[in-house]
Amino acid sequence: MKGQKKTYLLALAPFLLLCILFEIIPVIYTVVTSFFPEGGEIGFTLENYINIFTGKLYQQAIINSLLISIFSSVIGLSVAFIGAKAVHEEHGRLKTVFMSILNMVSNFSGVPLAFAYIIMFGNIGVMTMIGANYGIEFLAEFPLYSVWGLILIYVYFQIPLSTLLLIPAFDSIRKEWKEAVALLGGSSMTFWRKVGIPVLMPSILGTFSVLFANALAAYATAYALLMNNVSLLPIRLSEQFVGDIIQRPEFGSAIAVVMMVFMVLAIGVQNKMTPKKGGSR
Amino acid sequence: MAYIEFKNIDKYYGDNHVLKGINLEINKGDFVTLLGPSGCGKSTLLRCLAGLEKISGGQIMLDGEDITNKDPKDRNIGMVFQQYSLFPNMTVEENLSFGLKLQKLDNSEISRRVKDAIDMVELKGKEKEYPSNLSGGQQQRVALARGIVMQPKVLLLDEPLSAIDAKLRKSLQTSIRRIHKELGFTSVFVTHDQDEAMVMSDVIHLFHEGKIEQSGSPVEVYTKPVTSFAAGFIGNYNILDSRAMELITGKKWKDGQIAIRPETFFLSRNEITTEDYCMQGLITDSVPRGNVLRYTININDVEVYADVLFRSISMYNIGDRLNIGVSDHNCVRL
Amino acid sequence: MNAQKNKKHIGAKIAIVVIIAYLLLPLVMTLIYSLFREWIDVVPGGFTLSAYTELFTDPLFWKAVGRTVIISIVPIILCTVFVLLAMYVVVVYHPEWDKMIQILCTIPYAIQGVILPICVLSLYSGAPDPFGDRMFMLIATYMVVILPYVYQGIRNNLNGVGASRLIEAAQMLGASRFYAFFRVVIPNIMSGVTVSVMLAMAIVFGDFVIINTLAGGRFMTAQMYLYDVMKKSGQRTCAVIVILFLVTLIISACAFFLQSRGKDGKDR
Repeated sequence: MKGQKKTYLLALAPFLLLCILFEIIPVIYTVVTSFFPEGGEIGFTLENYINIFTGKLYQQAIINSLLISIFSSVIGLSVAFIGAKAVHEEHGRLKTVFMSILNMVSNFSGVPLAFAYIIMFGNIGVMTMIGANYGIEFLAEFPLYSVWGLILIYVYFQIPLSTLLLIPAFDSIRKEWKEAVALLGGSSMTFWRKVGIPVLMPSILGTFSVLFANALAAYATAYALLMNNVSLLPIRLSEQFVGDIIQRPEFGSAIAVVMMVFMVLAIGVQNKMTPKKGGSR
Repeated sequence: MAYIEFKNIDKYYGDNHVLKGINLEINKGDFVTLLGPSGCGKSTLLRCLAGLEKISGGQIMLDGEDITNKDPKDRNIGMVFQQYSLFPNMTVEENLSFGLKLQKLDNSEISRRVKDAIDMVELKGKEKEYPSNLSGGQQQRVALARGIVMQPKVLLLDEPLSAIDAKLRKSLQTSIRRIHKELGFTSVFVTHDQDEAMVMSDVIHLFHEGKIEQSGSPVEVYTKPVTSFAAGFIGNYNILDSRAMELITGKKWKDGQIAIRPETFFLSRNEITTEDYCMQGLITDSVPRGNVLRYTININDVEVYADVLFRSISMYNIGDRLNIGVSDHNCVRL
Repeated sequence: MNAQKNKKHIGAKIAIVVIIAYLLLPLVMTLIYSLFREWIDVVPGGFTLSAYTELFTDPLFWKAVGRTVIISIVPIILCTVFVLLAMYVVVVYHPEWDKMIQILCTIPYAIQGVILPICVLSLYSGAPDPFGDRMFMLIATYMVVILPYVYQGIRNNLNGVGASRLIEAAQMLGASRFYAFFRVVIPNIMSGVTVSVMLAMAIVFGDFVIINTLAGGRFMTAQMYLYDVMKKSGQRTCAVIVILFLVTLIISACAFFLQSRGKDGKDR
């Protein structure tokens, strides 16, 4: 028995090595680097963080990122609520078709999605041209290459994700509850206000934090649409390490840490709100 | 010498002391039941015997050999689990031959043994089925066959029938008992159901909070409980203290608790002279329970239960005053 | 009552149809765009398959697709093997360690998107080989990214099949713990694990940020090829998008086919 002990622990080694080398150490390294002064000297400084929160460019990045994440999550979640509720009430073929489409388009994001919107609402996009030809100003001057355009695109990939996350939650709503409310004289509205939404609340908040984190970290869509010409945290982070301008690893690390803090906050909310299930045994 | 010996077994889960110095001997060929409420340690002791749990202290002997530190696979013990635990990707046949193949027996021997085991549990024709195509009762028969096909020194049965509905359970109880007799191996059976324990066992060990409360044959355990827990767990005893006994019998009793089985009371409208203690009581309630009627009777402000066979001639009504008798040997001192 | 129910039903139907239309619009537009020479009015003009024929005859495209397949499959297989080995230790010897594994497999959520590749790059860009090797970084980073999905899939399947009980049963029949885990439990969870693994594959397949950060233009995957074409021809870009989307669709369709087949098997 004693001799066996070491052998079986070997099975854990590849997994632990992977996590340590490519998950834990990179994160720790980044956190540590973020407190180093720029230029490669050894020392401790908060200057990188001060620069993020006082520099106009980076303030703007934080504001834009939070704005886009919150707006796209709220809109996506609202549509998802309607969609998941409809799925909950619908049973026939349409439900199957809808579920398949949700699964299908949940893969449609990043560069392809950005380009699809470019051909629709871009400078020479189809909708834009139709708008110009027929004098529909709203289409002709659609602000795709802006924060609002990004929100529009982000909403697109938030909807299938959040609907797929909410549908199982709606399954937990039992028909008997509705019947009980009806027997006690409540309307359908009463049911949703007093029972349905409170029951769903943990799932809704959990989904929100998933969406928020998803939007905050999204890079490909924004990069494909605007390159580095938009102030977003992922874009600003990436350009400190990759690309044409001078690389600033210490400052970039601080941006990464700020983003991680936002992500942990969002996920922390989710963990708090989702009820814990018991262990396997 | 006993076939299986538990010597001073201690088991802790963290700070939780689940087995408190168990000493237990099991004879070869016996059908032994570990009986008790859930959480009393009976399943833990079984799993320690199987080797699936390590004991914190003590020694386990099997057939004169110390198996305390042996791996489960080397103990030659068979086990039937509550949730069947059949391998879902294997047919009935493959499930049964799994262990035999590991022993590297030759194919003719394997197929002979598998066939015998399938006949034994009456599952002929299901050899090629997957477990998910079988009913719960059939799955448990396969699990049983998988245990006996290995011809183990001991067969352990960990509440094998508790997931099966009442009617099927009776027939499986009979099957298990029959197979045990035919093959003559030693069986250790765990259950929380005292009726099941009574029907199946040669010896019952009653567990309570990590200790053995009482051991004996079913009749002994049923008629002579030694503690109030044993009396309460087996056979719905009336448990009365000496003061209450004094009130109903009119005689002085030594301090302590007395247990009286409900069916040992003798009820009559006429005067009773045949019993040691005769008294009068008022019927306050009557509930039919299967083939008996259970009356609640108030005797000098002490409430007791009395069971009477469900026959129309002996029916009494609530509010009736009756003569009640009980023999001294049925008043068990605990 | 009936009328009210009907009305509600129609409401649900309308909601679903509207959402479907919204979700399909960009896809349909992309498809049409890839098939016509010009589209500046309501009706596009000049139907042609030239974008597709050009693409199919471009060896660069096929090389890019080939690279994508390799760069998706290698990390997925390695990651699955690593997690299975780790879960062997957890399930058989130390169930209490599951908490730690779970945390390690959740962290990638918090460093998703651009954060992880940047952290890896800044740490290892100057490091000696193999760590400094971009391919090495790329594969390891992909492995970390899919860790949550692979872990979740494996754990759900282990719980679903009652792994610890099966191991106990196999041990009582004379099997060692190692044999019990790898020869009894693994065959029972393999189809379920394949499903989650294929979903993870779709993630790697659609990745742009990690490959762009870690490899730049040095390793042209399908997504990088797409990004490159984007600057040249709109029509061809749309054709690439359509093809890549179809490939992803086939991967997930296989996963769902496997999943439904697995369910049928259990329900019988």
